[in-house]
Amino acid sequence: MLNFLKMLLTPEFFFSIIRISAPILFATLAAIVVEKAGFCNIGLEGLMMFSALSGSLISYYAGSWVWGLLAAVVVGVLMSLMMGFFAFQLKTDITLVGIAVNMMGSGGTLFLCKVITNLTEGNAMASTTGLITKSLCIPDITIPLVNKIPFLGGVLSGHNLLTYFAFICCLLTSILLYKTSLGLNIRAVGENPNAASSVGVSVLKIKYIAIGFSGLMCGFGGAFMSMAYAQGWSLDMVSGRGFIALAAQAMGNGECLGGMLSSLVFGFAQALGIKFSAIGLDSNLASPIPYAVTIIGLVIFALVRRSREKKRHSSAGLEKAAAAAK
Amino acid sequence: MTKKREIIFSLVRGLVAICIALLVAMLLIFISAEGATFAAKLKATGEALRQLLLGPLFRMGKNGTVFEFKRLTDILASMIPIIFTGLAVCIMFSANQFNLGAEGGIMLGAFTTAMIAIYVPMAAFIHPLVAVIGGGVAVAVMMLLPALLKTKLNVSEMVCSLMLNYIIMYLIKFLMNTYLADKSKGQIQSYEFLETSKIAPLIDNGSKLSWGFIVAIAVVVLCGLFVYRTRWGYAIRMIGINQDFSRYSGMKVASVIVLSQVLGGFLAGIGGGIEMLGRYKTFSWSSLPGYGWTGITIAILAGNNPCFVPLAAFFMAYLTKGCELMATYANVPSQLIDIIQGVIFLFFAAEQFLSGYRQKLVVKSAQEELARKQAEQAQEGGALHA
Repeated sequence: MLNFLKMLLTPEFFFSIIRISAPILFATLAAIVVEKAGFCNIGLEGLMMFSALSGSLISYYAGSWVWGLLAAVVVGVLMSLMMGFFAFQLKTDITLVGIAVNMMGSGGTLFLCKVITNLTEGNAMASTTGLITKSLCIPDITIPLVNKIPFLGGVLSGHNLLTYFAFICCLLTSILLYKTSLGLNIRAVGENPNAASSVGVSVLKIKYIAIGFSGLMCGFGGAFMSMAYAQGWSLDMVSGRGFIALAAQAMGNGECLGGMLSSLVFGFAQALGIKFSAIGLDSNLASPIPYAVTIIGLVIFALVRRSREKKRHSSAGLEKAAAAAK
Repeated sequence: MTKKREIIFSLVRGLVAICIALLVAMLLIFISAEGATFAAKLKATGEALRQLLLGPLFRMGKNGTVFEFKRLTDILASMIPIIFTGLAVCIMFSANQFNLGAEGGIMLGAFTTAMIAIYVPMAAFIHPLVAVIGGGVAVAVMMLLPALLKTKLNVSEMVCSLMLNYIIMYLIKFLMNTYLADKSKGQIQSYEFLETSKIAPLIDNGSKLSWGFIVAIAVVVLCGLFVYRTRWGYAIRMIGINQDFSRYSGMKVASVIVLSQVLGGFLAGIGGGIEMLGRYKTFSWSSLPGYGWTGITIAILAGNNPCFVPLAAFFMAYLTKGCELMATYANVPSQLIDIIQGVIFLFFAAEQFLSGYRQKLVVKSAQEELARKQAEQAQEGGALHA
């Protein structure tokens, strides 16, 4: 046990937590913004799959990760706007739109991959892992000075460009939501669309912007998956991160900071799972750990919220409020 | 709008949605078709489409296209699991509960049934019955988790059930790999089911069409009666339409929500069990089978009405088979089915899709009504004058 703890308290372990959290964080930010606009986008998983595939393919054909990243983002945004078209214009239930996108994101991406690359690995599986080399991946960055700090340097420096960007995005999203008029409009539409439209805010436009933003974030998340986390795209590689992000959004109480912390919790769970399988635990027992942690996390969050509400509504709380009112 | 027009509208709408999906499919097939010139590609596309649309029922050989009974029974056989998941999703979605656990549910049901079929000896006839019901109960218990978390703590049943799918898949894989696998075989599979547990084939032509199909149809009828003819079914639908109203009118909303998901889980479970005993000799699934997702499409196509589930299941089974044939004979990857499914799904569920056409029909009906009334009045007036 002590040995195991020693194994955990290494810079490599903390490094891997941050690395694993990055794609979840991107998706969580996407979930947060659409939730603020008053709906829930469960198609994050599918969006990330499409972005991951297009990112790796374009980076291969164009010979540069920059184009790949750009393609991933563009595809993410376009797909999400299409979702918006169905949900807002044709009035399809947004949950169903999400399920449809996830469906297409699973088998459909494999279809596209086979068709575009003409790869048929034994007629069943195909992936772009053979096409993407290290030079086509998004580069890692060593931060000067920071990397000299003992321990902390190993944790914070040398991450992928997109990993840093994910945490910067967290800050930017927070600013977007709380310091800009667009953010105010997004929150207003989420709180009360009728009131928002009565003061001249175009509800439809704001909803499109929100879902487009979620596509943007999923684009980055997808690009990270296929061009940084792994080299190349493979079937179902996002493996539930889009859904975990929905849980992270709920656990973070819909705020950016909370969402970031919950993403780190899920990153921790996954990193722990990987460590467990490294010391000999069956990988089929280690792999479900993050999913189990997601359910447990949601339950704990719900219990905490409930007890808080109870406190607020208890007699003591009411008296306090009355005293404050006086 | 008259009832006849209502039906015409839903038919036209469904057909247009399917046509759009097929057009998208055609475009994708064309892109993926082999051939140097445009004409060659077009020819290959035509060939692939013929496989997709006719292949599931007709053999295309030197003697032209001939209907083959075996192919029909194949399709009927592959309808069995998706009828059950379709029904499960229908009932859960009717209560407006987006529980997506049918996917993990059918795997858990199949696994539990397989274990009972292997390790618990029993008399014939009783054995499959007990095994299948055991599978159903296992999944019903599993569905209690998202259902209770939803009603007690307001945890999203969707996220919870999705996570459960992954957990179940990995745990079953773990149990298979470590304890239950038949080590004498090359791949990971369980020991053979006991002879007493098998569900007999309905027609002996090697098509795997078992008595399970009859059970499936019977369950469809039962579900239809349950949803439209019982108090509980009414409560489920009412809660789906307006939860607050149902609560104020005195329905036990929480228990009905739990009931709908437990029942859905039970249906998915027995679906998995029947599929297992009717089609296979050993348990060898190593990943989620995908029937749960198809079940969602079926529920959407059927408009959450259990009576339409067999039709929708036939349609999906037909398309799936067509895509498989296309992959074999025309070199178009079979995963095209997922894209077709997604597109149909999107348009079918779109409330405003073709709303202009609907509006026209409504106006036309109203005008006809008006004209008829005027004519009647004129007649009456004429009669008075005379």
